[in-house]
Amino acid sequence: MKANRTATPYLFLVPAMAVFGFAVLFPVIMTFAYSFTEWNGYGTMVFVGIDNYIKAANDVLFRDSFVHVLIYIAITIVLEVVVGLVLAGLVSVHRRGSLWFRVAIFTPVMLPMVVVAVLWAFVYNNDFGLLNAALQSLGLDSLQRVWLGDPATALLAVSVVSGWVYAGFYMTIFYAAFNQVPTEVIEAARLDGANEWQLFRRIKVPMIRNAITVALLLCITGGFQGFDLFYVMTNGGPYGATEIPTTYLVKSVFTFQNVGYGSAMAVVLTAVVVALGLVFTRVNREKPEDVRS
Amino acid sequence: MPVTRKKTLAAVAALSASALILTGCSAGGGGSDDNVLRIAMGSPGEAQIRVWDDVAAQFEAANPDLTVEMNYQDDDLYQTIGLPNLLNGRNAPDIYFEWAGARLEQRAADGFAADLSDAVTSGPIAGLFDDEVFGSLTVDGEIVMVPHAADVANVLWYNEDIFADAGLTPPTTWDELLATCDALDAEGIIPIASGNKDLWAAGNWLAHLTSRVVGEEAYSAALSGEADFDTPEWVEAFGYVEELADHNCVNESANAVDDNEGAQLFFQGKAAMHAIGSWLVSWAIDEAPDLNFDYVNLPTMPGEGNQESVIGVVTGYVVNAKSNKQDLAAEFLALLNNEENVQAFIGAELTPMALSASSGEEIDSRSAGLINMLESAPAIVLPPDTGYDLETANALYAALAEVLGGQTSPADAVAGIDQKLG
Repeated sequence: MKANRTATPYLFLVPAMAVFGFAVLFPVIMTFAYSFTEWNGYGTMVFVGIDNYIKAANDVLFRDSFVHVLIYIAITIVLEVVVGLVLAGLVSVHRRGSLWFRVAIFTPVMLPMVVVAVLWAFVYNNDFGLLNAALQSLGLDSLQRVWLGDPATALLAVSVVSGWVYAGFYMTIFYAAFNQVPTEVIEAARLDGANEWQLFRRIKVPMIRNAITVALLLCITGGFQGFDLFYVMTNGGPYGATEIPTTYLVKSVFTFQNVGYGSAMAVVLTAVVVALGLVFTRVNREKPEDVRS
Repeated sequence: MPVTRKKTLAAVAALSASALILTGCSAGGGGSDDNVLRIAMGSPGEAQIRVWDDVAAQFEAANPDLTVEMNYQDDDLYQTIGLPNLLNGRNAPDIYFEWAGARLEQRAADGFAADLSDAVTSGPIAGLFDDEVFGSLTVDGEIVMVPHAADVANVLWYNEDIFADAGLTPPTTWDELLATCDALDAEGIIPIASGNKDLWAAGNWLAHLTSRVVGEEAYSAALSGEADFDTPEWVEAFGYVEELADHNCVNESANAVDDNEGAQLFFQGKAAMHAIGSWLVSWAIDEAPDLNFDYVNLPTMPGEGNQESVIGVVTGYVVNAKSNKQDLAAEFLALLNNEENVQAFIGAELTPMALSASSGEEIDSRSAGLINMLESAPAIVLPPDTGYDLETANALYAALAEVLGGQTSPADAVAGIDQKLG
């Protein structure tokens, strides 16, 4: 009887562990194994040691892809997290009628990213697109660009789309967090003469620091997982200006059928993301004095 | 849960996201035992899809226990991710579309191309084709593909109305082409539309241009990895691409839009010319029925190559060597190429290579002209992406796009190709 009791929790874990093993552990182990081979996905697999990792270290395009994704993440932190925070601050102050505003801002999150990418590719289109047409109608012809064809603007253009989609997502997170701030704290600050801006900056934002930390972590890791917008809108172009690790990895595996090299890049990418996640978590770990304050 | 375990799980989950994509390559690949004949291809367009569906229905009627399952994928997807995934999937296609050349040889080497020699010489496909067409479809002495169409991969299509209004004639020499670009550009018309986001659209056209300059042998040697690109001849060839950019020959958005968007510029009369392959005929008839258009081959270039060369490729259907329905697949391909269905394809603006194509329904004069051009070509240049290693082709395409977009010099571009290929 006692033995059964001990085993019961583990029995409940079996289905979840089976799925985890099949969907997570097995692919991880296989990818790691493939990274030491030269293989096109179905032919003969040849063991090449760490050659793929040496190749990745010397691959300028792979290195550049990390620079691009870091720039993308930096821009999206502003366009998604900061803008989401500001929007949440606004809708939490003006609650009357804010429901429609929140729904409108959140709506892009519900659209499939491929649809968003196709839609915005049309907006940015140099010859038929809305953006250049709008600029022309406003007399701002000098600002017209081949937005997705100019290396100077392509990455920013894709990042703006990401911001358009996810600002609403982060707004929702922050809005929920703002609602958790005790009303007595807000009232006390008001009695002390704090205006809405001071409330936002000195009271609300510091009190939802944990939510902001989570949002930043999501934004950073989500940035490294970015793929669909880039794949559909620019396919890494023009001239490699929007090539990010995921698009480069997928090209390597599926277009050029270098499964071994692609696997090595996947391992490197994962290592970088995990390392950054660890650093970020350590830096933002809650200190005892923060808790007291 | 302790923080360290969270991190470990996060790490494992992140790696798995990449890994799940990669392990997709390692599954199965064998044929199914069910009663389904699976056929995969890039989308051939609505008109031809109707013919394919009709042929499938005919085959099902003749084989009541069998279902024919058609899988039409986006062209680019099929060429890159789609086909390898399908071939390695649990329900791999029994018949699949392929391009003759390096890709076909690779399929045969990987064990995905059945030997169709018996079916072609004495089986259901016998007598449907001229024997000569199987030369480029034979790998290691085995016929591994049944041809369907011969595509001219690139010519210069032009809008007859725009040319007439501007008092221009289609360019036949390099200098004429540049002068035509200047004249059209001065009138605010895009001279040549190109949708080169995926690099192959202008890539094929400009690769043909370079072959005319460096010569077919040097072109083939470089793309086969037997010679470097970084030679004075290649720099000179890339110099002509730079001239195209200098003369505003191509739409400013060329490297930002895909082939469909590039074609729309031509269909809507915003561009006077469009450099693309023979498949434009059915496409334009579908999407721009009022467009008056015709073609010229690439203008003659100052160079070592054959100035009458044609860039083209034979496409057709391969029977999966891992299929357990190879006999049925051969019968299907025979049905596909019988006289009735060949005429149906001609009605859908595709001219099959089967012998019966020369009788019956009238072929569009432009399609007929292109077939004649390909058949009588003194030299045929293979497109880089189907005739050679795809990584090499991509490096060439990327370099051509950079020069066309004014991003780099011809010398740096060719040096960059060798550097990229190691």
